[in-house]
Formats: sequence, C-alpha cells, structure tokens
Amino acid sequence: MRAAEHWFVELLGDQRDRVVACTHLLRVPSPHVAFSIALPSGVEVALPPVPDGLTVAAALAREEHLSGQGGRAFAYPGRDALVGVLSVAEILSLSAIERVTVLGGAPATPETLVETRDHVRPLWMARHLTLVTLPHVGGRIAPFEMPEEIPCCSLH
Amino acid sequence: MGHGHGHHHDEVGIGGSDLPAALDLSTPDDELRPDDRSRRAFLRRAGLLGAGVAAAGALAGAGVGVGAEPAAAHGKDDDHDDKAGNLKWLAGDHHIHTHYSSDAMYRVIDQVQHGRAYGLDWMVITDHGSEAHAKIGVDKVNPEILAAREALKDTLVFQGLEWNIPAAEHGTVFVHPGKNELSVLKQFENDFDSSVKAAGDNTPANEALAISGLNFLADAVKRGKVEQALFFANHPARNGIDSPHEIRGWRDAAPGIAIGMEGAPGHQAGGLSKAKGGAGAARGAYGNSPSANSFPYPLEAYRTWGGFDWFTATVGGLWDSLLAEGKPWWITANSDAHTIFLETAVRGSTDFNELGYYLDPVHGGTVNTTNVDFWPGYYSKTHVGATTDSYKAVMDGLRLGRIWVDHGGLLAGLDVRVRQAGDRSKDGGTPLGGTVSVKKGTPLELVISIDTAVLPNWAEFVPKLARVDVIRGKVTGKPKDKDTFTTPNTRVEKSFEVGSGQKKVSFTYALGRVEESYYVRVRGTDGNRKGPGYLGVSVDAEGPAIDVVGDADPWADLWFYTNPIWVETH
Repeated sequence: MRAAEHWFVELLGDQRDRVVACTHLLRVPSPHVAFSIALPSGVEVALPPVPDGLTVAAALAREEHLSGQGGRAFAYPGRDALVGVLSVAEILSLSAIERVTVLGGAPATPETLVETRDHVRPLWMARHLTLVTLPHVGGRIAPFEMPEEIPCCSLH
Repeated sequence: MGHGHGHHHDEVGIGGSDLPAALDLSTPDDELRPDDRSRRAFLRRAGLLGAGVAAAGALAGAGVGVGAEPAAAHGKDDDHDDKAGNLKWLAGDHHIHTHYSSDAMYRVIDQVQHGRAYGLDWMVITDHGSEAHAKIGVDKVNPEILAAREALKDTLVFQGLEWNIPAAEHGTVFVHPGKNELSVLKQFENDFDSSVKAAGDNTPANEALAISGLNFLADAVKRGKVEQALFFANHPARNGIDSPHEIRGWRDAAPGIAIGMEGAPGHQAGGLSKAKGGAGAARGAYGNSPSANSFPYPLEAYRTWGGFDWFTATVGGLWDSLLAEGKPWWITANSDAHTIFLETAVRGSTDFNELGYYLDPVHGGTVNTTNVDFWPGYYSKTHVGATTDSYKAVMDGLRLGRIWVDHGGLLAGLDVRVRQAGDRSKDGGTPLGGTVSVKKGTPLELVISIDTAVLPNWAEFVPKLARVDVIRGKVTGKPKDKDTFTTPNTRVEKSFEVGSGQKKVSFTYALGRVEESYYVRVRGTDGNRKGPGYLGVSVDAEGPAIDVVGDADPWADLWFYTNPIWVETH
C-alpha cells in the first residue's frame, strides 16, 4: 500500500500541497484499498479510471471523504512541513490538520510536543482532519501510525 | 431436555429430550446415580461433556447431532480427580519457533533447553505454516522433537503448528503425542493453512475454510487418530484481522478444541528503548495500523496495554464479551520466540528456501540488539493446573481453563477458588475454569492465595506485587450481534493493596448471595504503570496503560491474569 501511495504522490507532483489525498480501507466487494482526492478548483490531476466492479466502492470512498467520516490522508497541505519535533499548535498552524487526539493518555494541549518521526498521516474523523497520537517518551506524543508496518513472517 | 433416568445408557443418541443422564447437565452431579456420576466424570475428563457433543461419537453406538447447542460448554468440576487442592501447576509456552520457520533460527533442543532452564514444564513447537513447511519442515522437526523428549525426560514437548488461519491471524494448533501426531498435523497444514491454500484475505469463503480446519481436528479426535487437539488464537488484536464473529465461530465450531487466545503476545523485548540498548520498537510487535482486511476495531486495539493484548487488557472488552456468554474462552501468555534479544549466535545458513529450513545456528560473535524476543519461560509463563505431569493432563488442564499467566515471574504461586462462604475444608472450592452451581441466595466467597516472589526473576530482581483486582461480569448469554466486542456488565469490583515482606498473601472476598449467573476473574500488578481502561474509570480506574512504542521496558510493568471461575444458579 505504501508503494501505491508513493506512486500517487509522484503523480500529484507540485500539486500535492494543494490537495487532500486519502486511502480508504474497504471491504466491498472484497477487501481492498481505495484512493480519494479532494481538489480545489483550478487544480487538475490525471487519475486512472476506476477499475471494473469497483464503482460502488469508489463512490463509498468518495462519500467517506466528502462527509469527513473516513479516509486516511497521505497527502495534504503542509504535510512536508511536519518533520522533527513540533508542538500541537505548530502542527495546527502549519498544515490542514484541525485537531490532535491522544489514545490511552491525557488530552493534548497546544504546547504538547509531537515527535513526528517525519511521518504524519491524519484521519478524517467526525468532519475534522485529525491526527491520532499515542503517549511517547518524556511527556511527548507521537502519531499512532508508524513510518513502517511490521511485516508478518518476513525473512530477517 | 428431560432427565435421563430410565434411559438405557449403552447408546448415545443425542436429540431433543433424549439426553442420557450423564450428558444432561440440567441434572447436577450430586443427583446422578453412582454409575452415571462416574460416566459423567469420564466424559468431563475427556472433554466430551456438554460442549463436546460432536466428539461424543467416541461413545458406543454414536449417532450424534453435531449441531446441538451445548448446555454448558465448560461443565462442572469433577470432584474426585480435579479438586482444587490436587492440582500441580505446570508452567509452559504454546508459541515457540525453530529453524523450520523462515523468520526464526533455533534447533528444537535450543528452545527446550532454555525453556526448561527458565522453569518451563511443557512447550509447544509451533513453526509457521508455509508451502515449504508443509512439505519439509513438518516432517523434519518431528525427529528433533522426539530427540528433545528423550534428552530432557522431565519436559513435555508437543509438536504443533503456527497455523495461518484462513481470513485471519495466526493460531497455535497442537495435538497429543502419538503415532499419528505427524500425519494429522501434516494433513491439517496442507489442507487448511492459508499460505498453502492462498486463503489469507478476509472473505466468507476463507472464513469457512478456517471452520473446516477446526472441524478436521475435531474429527481427528473423534475418530481416535489423536487423543486431543487444541487451538489458541495468537496475538489476536495485532492487525485487527480476527473479527469478533470469527472468534465466536471458531469457539462454537470446535468446543473443547478451540479454547482460547493469547492474552499477551510474545516479542516482549521489542519495546526496550534504543537509548538503553534495545530494539526501540513496539512491545509485543504491536506497531501496526488497520489494513483492508481489518475489522473496524478502534485504533487502541493495535497496541499493547501493560504488555497485554487489548482484547484481554480491556475490562468489559472483547474477552469479557465472550465470557459474558457463559462459554469458555481462556487466555495464555507465551514467548513467540523466534530470535532472541542479545543473541550472539547466527543462523547456520541464509537461504531458507534452499532446504526448507536453516542449518543449525553457529557462533556469530556480535551481540544482537535488534531482536525482540525472550527465551521461552524467561519472561512469559502460562501456568496450567494439571492432575499430573503428563501430556494428557496438561491438555486437560488447558481445556478446563485451569490457567493463569504472569510476566517477569511476578508470582511464585497462585491458588484462586470460589467456595461457599465459610467453607474451610482444605480441598473445598472450585478452581480456575470451573463452575460453581448453586441455588439462588447461596453466599459465596472468592479466595485468592498468593505465594509472592521470593527468588529473583530472570532480570535479577525480586518482583513486588502491589495490587490484586477482582473483576466480575454478568453472564448474559448470546449477544444479538456476533461482532460485539464489549460488554457493559463487567467491571473491576474490588482491589486489594499488597503489603511488602510477606511470603504468602491471602484475600477472601465475599461475593455475596448468588442472584444470577456471573463469572469472576483476578488480575494483579507491580503497580508501576496504570491508567483508566478503554471503557472508562467506572469500569477500570487503574488498569494497564497503553505501551509507548520505542520505550516500553517489560520488566518495569508486570501483570498477572487468571482465567475465570463461573457461578451459575440452579
């Protein structure tokens, strides 16, 4: 999936800071990942056509994104600025992210420091582009999503 | 279901109101005729009671309705053999890899020697299912296991498999040793492993294949090809791909075989921070995100809590939602040992596919600090109450839920039982996994007897137990939605602080007069890390805390959990 995202980001080129591109985990008609992209007027992207049999699924993905109820943003305004350690306030002002939540820990304040791991992927949740985080070392927080998934049964 | 008195007992024809007395659990033990009582004891020991209707064909003249709904899947304790006081507690691990797994490296004897040195009495070798393993590894590991049994006669070594469950995660599958152990496991893997059958994706057809695999095991037991078989779901929440309905489906397809899941994953060394010389990864290797095959669990499910899987760590969570149905589903804790943290050996060869395994390890000389595993028994232990130290007794004990688990050697010993209030008889009371069946209004009490750790653990300190919690949940029966993963009726009811310096600590908790069916279970901690549980402070105010990826010292966050004891009214 990450390879597909890289390809998509390449496709977007300079436009990637002006759009919100998301992945959606869908289970109909069978488990697959869909992509959706929100474009401001004036921006055009040459997208491949929707594959046969996935039209309904594609519509679902679009609806999730439009309604702000689902979708994981891998490209969004300000993504490239979210590197290193930043405060919650900085993340909110530097990017399209609208709020930061913390799983299993105390809620974030504007001053809470975020260890971005240079990999910030917010989610559409209840109409807000939300960065979900976990407690991290030293009173900081870090994004839930890790830069690399742990593959199963890999030769290592 | 009527009482079976007066029916002939030579045939077992199950259907409608025709249950023989021994099988009819609406007749309590003490109301049976002596020969029915001993017949029921036999059935119960063999795991054929109630739930084991499919397996009851082993009795003469079988004509068994496989679809029959078990009256009480766990049955009641056999007072004669399985008294709470007669159990030997045997420590074990049902999730261990060898050089027959493409991501592991050890000989069987390496794992067994280490496990034994760290205090284990029983171990299960569970290499990954794969095309290579199904053709080569499954056969070649067997003589290594036989040799390990010969060399270390006081250690029980089972051959098993880490099954790639179609449409789901991994699972431990193992069988009682015998002349068919290899052929049954080999056929099982070739016919039902998702990597062999390309059946990994989350589809209805693949879910059905998983059920067929469990049916195959049940059939192998029924036909006497192996004496017993067991299945546990491994690291179930890790990738979110074990849906609640799949777990319920496995349980219901093969009661007495599909009996539980890992409450805590292995890979417990993974979270040691890089700053302190560790791998700096996720504790338990729980560092992933949802995928297209995932059930829509909350993101909290993808990380460990106090080193435990979210399904188990969450009071009122998935585990409790299963227990609330009144059916057994036990938890365990294992090493998942592939490659050990601080190892200096290296694999004897590097191309797994050339032979279908790696050559024996050789000395490498560089200390490996990126591996994430501990040896079997070094940190995680699954303690089983068995009547003797035999393969059969261990499997019986597992099946009956006589199981508690701990990390870091937190406890030296544990005895938990429910008894009638005031019963002071030495062997009185019902042990873990058992059922107390009493008239409404009977006062009961929970007795927790702990031998605290006196000797240091394998990290050279003596763990200090700080607190013990009593968790009670109502038994409310089948949920409307098979994908339910919470229950509102379970909470931490009582906490006991543990003072220091006592070798033996005992708590007696009045459970009150029985009004309706419930279960009770116990957990405890060193108290170093705690926080509100997922369902909030009114359910669990000081539960395990979510682990920090890259900074989770497993030795600084120790927990023990017991399996439940049931109380049912009649």
